[in-house]
Amino acid sequence: MQLPRTPVVVGGNRTPFAKTGGAYASASNQDMLTAALDGLAARFGLAGRQLDEVAAGAVLKHARDFNLTREAVLSSALAPTTPAVDLQQACGTGLEAVIYIANKIALGQADVGVGGGVDSASDAPIAVSEGFRRALLAANRARTLPDRLKAFASLRPSDLAPVAPQVVEPRTGLSMGQHQARTTATWGITREAQDELAAASHRNLAAAWSAGFFDDLVTPYLGLTKDNVLRPDTSVEKLAALKPVFGDTMTAGNSTALTDGAAVVLLAEQAWAQEQGLPVLARVVDAQVAAVDHTSGDDLLLAPAHAVARLLARQGMGLGDFALYELHEAFASTVLATMAAWESDAWCRERLGRDGALGSIDRDRLNVTGSSLATGHPFAATGGRIVATLAKLLHERGAGARGLVSVCAAGGQGVVAILEAV
Amino acid sequence: MDRDVERLDALPRLGPLFAKALLPQPRAEARLPARTVVVTGLAQPLPRLADYDRVCGFPLRDRVPATWLHVLTFGLHLHLLSAQESTIRLPGLVHVTNRMRLHRPVDATEVLDLSVRAGGLRPHRRGALLDLVGEVRAGDDLVWDGTSTYLAPGANTPGEVAAEPRPPFEVVPPIATWRLPAGLGRDYRRVSGDPNPIHTSVLAARAFGFARPIIHGMWTHARLLAALDARLPGAFTVDVSFAKPILLPSTVGAWWQPDGDGWRAAVTTRDGANPYLTATITP
Repeated sequence: MQLPRTPVVVGGNRTPFAKTGGAYASASNQDMLTAALDGLAARFGLAGRQLDEVAAGAVLKHARDFNLTREAVLSSALAPTTPAVDLQQACGTGLEAVIYIANKIALGQADVGVGGGVDSASDAPIAVSEGFRRALLAANRARTLPDRLKAFASLRPSDLAPVAPQVVEPRTGLSMGQHQARTTATWGITREAQDELAAASHRNLAAAWSAGFFDDLVTPYLGLTKDNVLRPDTSVEKLAALKPVFGDTMTAGNSTALTDGAAVVLLAEQAWAQEQGLPVLARVVDAQVAAVDHTSGDDLLLAPAHAVARLLARQGMGLGDFALYELHEAFASTVLATMAAWESDAWCRERLGRDGALGSIDRDRLNVTGSSLATGHPFAATGGRIVATLAKLLHERGAGARGLVSVCAAGGQGVVAILEAV
Repeated sequence: MDRDVERLDALPRLGPLFAKALLPQPRAEARLPARTVVVTGLAQPLPRLADYDRVCGFPLRDRVPATWLHVLTFGLHLHLLSAQESTIRLPGLVHVTNRMRLHRPVDATEVLDLSVRAGGLRPHRRGALLDLVGEVRAGDDLVWDGTSTYLAPGANTPGEVAAEPRPPFEVVPPIATWRLPAGLGRDYRRVSGDPNPIHTSVLAARAFGFARPIIHGMWTHARLLAALDARLPGAFTVDVSFAKPILLPSTVGAWWQPDGDGWRAAVTTRDGANPYLTATITP
């Protein structure tokens, strides 16, 4: 399907990603998103310019940040008349924001926009307990002092404890790691395979940093110049020494770390970008979301396996038709289980309604400059990191080179997209 | 001008200095220390910068606010005015005007050299005016300088009282309404290090003739720059005149308007009728 207008990735910018409680411990989501937008504005000469829209979001969000993206735009170098929208689709947020802007460009509703996201696990919102919240609301409604006091009389001491956000599925009570541990066992993903994937992620990211690959994708922030989850010297042996934290095989080394950071992508209509003298790296070909029913036992993080199958069917493409694959490493075993699902005749027959397996991926084309295990994973920032990285990699390979992006998300959802070098 | 230079190893602690500064001074002709006080190799404390930004309304950027550089030098103001040879003490001084120039953007990770000197004693109809002049350097670059002009009520210095040009003020409907909570003085004390209790204590405020604690003038200044932050160029001069203190808690108005290549701005009563602070910003 040829779109009426062609949305392209012009480039991207992100902060280096920082271990939670580290370099960005004092920074809010708005601070980091502003920094990422300012870096983008500086890189592409957008200071004072009005863009058609900025779409971004955060997964861990304070109530005061109801207009997070718009407020960040107002703090940024972009013209204050640039509109903005907050989107949220758990870890799919950043990619979904890119798709939103790309779709508007394709439909002629925008010529240029920004998609991205930000998350801080350091500056996470802490809420009051449900009991305390209800008591406060009741007291607020009360008209007399005795009524007001009565509202608080229902409080128990435990209601006064603050509530921190958790990465727990509300309908199963299981953390994402616990869910993934089930998937890991179901698919028989070995500890060795997970550690190997994790080591490759660190190796690839370290090599890309050394080669200067990120020089035009990352702007230092608050003294941090590089992703600091990255351990260039890690190895399968070192990873093998870590104790499992989820199930028998998942460790802190083959699971993503809590991370702070922001990433944004500049998108434009291709002809518009060329007229403006802006770079044109890759077009956004198509995208798909899907969900699984983890409340009935589906693997929580395998929704992208479904989304990719639908996307390929619509585009008439095969799984092998890509120069590069970017499968978000929520856990090493998520990537491995996703690939195992695509290679399984039985699973593809039963779950995708196909005649047989979708196919396999050449591991040399997978996450070639590292992914979330090595960069860390500030939830909503991951999509923007991946899209900008992949667009640049595809552009280096030459026109027509295609890349597949896949991001799993809480709630049993998956967001996937295809980019193609211009 | 040749001056003695006093080098400090670190920024001074302000509490003890402030206590010393409260000791009564003789009424003879006012004197100020002739030396320049210097702190070199200062790494900017990032958590305090983040706290400062939050209290004043700035985003936490790599480029620090111009008023943050003033705050870094403030301890040296107090140090000089607590010296034996100074007859003028900081408590009781009235901050009347402030002028600062940011010569280039300053990064939060830059290591800075600070210096402050006191001077410019001149008569005023209510006492004497004096200037505290700060400079901030990064390596060989002068990156910031600022002049804080204070009135020392009752101080005695020879000379003619010069005319006081009143900065023009026009009544403009405020763009913004700011609600200043009662605890704002404590918040700004934490980030600025200014221990003056007239900003935090009702009793201390009354002792100096205010019904309630007043917010630090440099908070009001910073808050106004924060409102314009994303629109300010990398180098600029800001001139501020403090018309009247703001009692806490308060609701105030603020407006800003482009003026040539720069801005005119004010913090006013809620209805915009009377100024607390007027400012001009020029590139």
